[in-house]
Amino acid sequence: MSSTRTTVVFIVVLMMVLPYLGTAKGRGRGSKWWGIARAGEPNNLVSNSIKENSITNSYLDPDVHATLRRKQRRLVRDHPGVVVAVAKGAKQAISECKHQFKNRRWNCPTKDFHRGRNLFGKIVDRACRETAFIYALMSAAVTHSVSRACSEGAIESCTCDYSQRGPSGADWEWGGCSDNIQFGVKFSREFVDAGEKGRDIRYMMNLHNNEAGRVHVSTEMRQECKCHGMSGSCTVRTCWMRLPFFRVVGDNLKDRFDGASRVLISNTGRTPGNGRKKYNYQLKPYNPEHKAPSKKDLVYYENSPNFCEKNLKLGIAGTQGRVCNETSIGVDGCDLMCCGRGYKTEVKEVVERCACTFHWCCEVKCKVCRTKKTIHTCL
Amino acid sequence: MAGAVVENLSNRKLIVLISFLLICLLVCFLLGGLVAPAPSNVQSVLATKCYDNSQNKSKFFYVRPNGGCDKIDDLHGPEAEERHITDKNVVFAFQLPIPRGGIELDYSRWMQNLIGILQIDVTFFKEWELMEPRVPVTIDARLGYRNKGDPEDEWKEYATSTESRTMDCSPPERDGYLYNCSLLPLFELGALHHDYYLLNLRFPVIYENNRGLGPVSDLWLVVINQNGGFTKVWLSLKTIFFPMVVGVMIWFWRRVQLLARQPTLLESMLLALGVALSTLNLPLEYLTLSFEMPFMLLLGDMKQGIFYSMLLSFWLVFAGEHLMDDNERKGLRGYWKQLSCVGVGCLSMFIFDMCERGIQLRNPFYSIWANEIGTQIALSFVIIAGIAAGVYFLFLSYIIYRVFRNISAKRQALPAMASARRHFYEGVIYRFKFLMLATLLCAAMTVVGFILGQVSEGKWKWDEDINLEYTSAFFTGVYGMWNVYILALLCLYSPSHKRWPSESAGQDETNEEIEFTPLPTEPSELSSLTAMIKKTATD
Repeated sequence: MSSTRTTVVFIVVLMMVLPYLGTAKGRGRGSKWWGIARAGEPNNLVSNSIKENSITNSYLDPDVHATLRRKQRRLVRDHPGVVVAVAKGAKQAISECKHQFKNRRWNCPTKDFHRGRNLFGKIVDRACRETAFIYALMSAAVTHSVSRACSEGAIESCTCDYSQRGPSGADWEWGGCSDNIQFGVKFSREFVDAGEKGRDIRYMMNLHNNEAGRVHVSTEMRQECKCHGMSGSCTVRTCWMRLPFFRVVGDNLKDRFDGASRVLISNTGRTPGNGRKKYNYQLKPYNPEHKAPSKKDLVYYENSPNFCEKNLKLGIAGTQGRVCNETSIGVDGCDLMCCGRGYKTEVKEVVERCACTFHWCCEVKCKVCRTKKTIHTCL
Repeated sequence: MAGAVVENLSNRKLIVLISFLLICLLVCFLLGGLVAPAPSNVQSVLATKCYDNSQNKSKFFYVRPNGGCDKIDDLHGPEAEERHITDKNVVFAFQLPIPRGGIELDYSRWMQNLIGILQIDVTFFKEWELMEPRVPVTIDARLGYRNKGDPEDEWKEYATSTESRTMDCSPPERDGYLYNCSLLPLFELGALHHDYYLLNLRFPVIYENNRGLGPVSDLWLVVINQNGGFTKVWLSLKTIFFPMVVGVMIWFWRRVQLLARQPTLLESMLLALGVALSTLNLPLEYLTLSFEMPFMLLLGDMKQGIFYSMLLSFWLVFAGEHLMDDNERKGLRGYWKQLSCVGVGCLSMFIFDMCERGIQLRNPFYSIWANEIGTQIALSFVIIAGIAAGVYFLFLSYIIYRVFRNISAKRQALPAMASARRHFYEGVIYRFKFLMLATLLCAAMTVVGFILGQVSEGKWKWDEDINLEYTSAFFTGVYGMWNVYILALLCLYSPSHKRWPSESAGQDETNEEIEFTPLPTEPSELSSLTAMIKKTATD
């Protein structure tokens, strides 16, 4: 309760402190930080510094520095150790995105030379479902990863958010600290939303999807309890929230992707009188008979391209050469995947790891299976 | 003496006293609700996986500051294969508490105790071998501590143990999810004496131990400690109630001593109840601020146990002494059957507690529930205690039923009685009903409060600005209520001296004589009123 209050206060302060910049210049400008996901890769200059970016080390690598906005830089400086968490989160989001979309025409392609907001290609310039998903997932991943890093003690400056104040003010000794997720959500809101401002519908869409990602993380928290009263009885019971497994968040967001709400472009959004509040808007559905999008829904306002053909303008590779499933009638089926262009069928001998067993610790023993597989690839 | 204070107190005085006590109760409740924080605080700590190549078991692996741990990111990825990690190389390190707000937090002695629960995240891969539903886990646990001002890498050993636990796991529906595994209670510290704690866990493979573990991705340790603020509020309540109860007890016993007769069974029971409450109230926790007292959890349980057994025995004796039948009971011996229920129940709970928390004094990682035999023993003691409690309540309700039956029988006969005799019975009935009402009210409030707390998780909100910490309010409220209940009993059920000066003037000796030779037809209630009735009857 108090945290929402502080968040609101924070947002108000934020809106007053930050210069009110013009609109519509660079639609995906707020997503420049995605480039942080590339940090730490072997062929990258950023790598060495980010891996070693310890809690005590406030030094920021120039390459990471370049991907961040001024406000994000300040946040990173104020919270040593957070860069590593954000980078980990971004990487996790990318692999989650690839996992969720592996069977679709658009399979969340990323290219090594893509930087910053272009990490996922130019598709993010279009306000379509895929973009909505990427924004939500990235935001969710930052929330998740930062909360996790707090639990590991990797970020020392995770705020305590004392739920109850003692006589001497906020106090860990008096009332303990709040759950780690609260800092994760708060940080993600500051960090991820830092670049999203303006009155443009696109900003609103991004803000909404970012928030949706965070909401999916915090609503997937599961409560666990332990009794520790007299003789271990349940007279005293303490409960805590367990951070969700990120795959669950990814699955839920994928479900929301399938049922994403299309909103009106003409959304002015702002409820009258509260023009300056960043999150104070209500998006109207494209179809007036539909309900307004809820907090968990993903929103978009442009149709997705069909992803069939190569489209350089949007950075789409097309489905040529993609493997498809002959028997499926879903999106991974050859008919849909290949967009009716047809497919070629080959019989290949595939060498795979199979029948794996895990031996504690930490050996995965697999058999090598040679199987003949019929592989269909789109023409 | 003419019965107890409660009969002779004017309504106005009674109302003043009761409203004073009720205000005390309300203050306790609000103190817990508005001032105290939640009773306990939780931190979920994620294990840092450290690489140990020295296999030097005396070394502690710490997380902060950097340098104490060579981190491993993933236990079943390419990294693990590259480094040829085996069970001997992996140490899971938890450094408690985790830092917040840029400060390396430390535990305060006000926080009293620490409970650690382990949660093992095991990933489920469809193609991989399925994990057994019951996985035996062997844990090499080492707990170290450090205090402020010590060198940052100097951890001293607090406890070490090799523990086996059983983890129940069920596979999830979808590939790549985590198994749903049960939580493993890991340790309980009765004293939180040091500033920082460090837990190092290893899962060694010796023979078949730990072979059944699937691909562990993460380890979480959930640590629960009592909140310092709650301890402070709780302790101040104790500090206030302790002298109050002791004072009232002394006052009560002096009045009993002033009587010319021996104290009755009920009066002795009341005194014993007061003593039991005073031991519960004794603010021993102050000592934990300077001494390490790991037995506080056990002691607290024992003190509560003694109090509850006294309270239960008191109700039994009280109901029995108000039976108004013609049987004569000789002191406590008359209640041996019923009291043995209380005794057996409390004894089995005591043995159970000694088996769990007693052994934890030597090994904080010990848990009686960890192995099959222990679980059976523990369960049997708990079941015995449960049966004893059930039988006790049957006995109690039977006695109360009989009291009510006698009351209605006596009621009908009341108008026909002589006035003194009628006064006597009216007094008995009044006293009984008063206590019944108060007891039922207290018990109902405790139960309702408890259920409300269980049903409504989290905080209660009555108003936007009022943030009521319900759990704490419940604890302080119930604690205050039983204190107030016993204070009221001590005050109201102490012998009244309203009429006894005149009695003692002339009829002291005869009174005493008759008191000790009650006629078999008379109720066993030993008060001087009885004597008066007898006298009027013989006259």
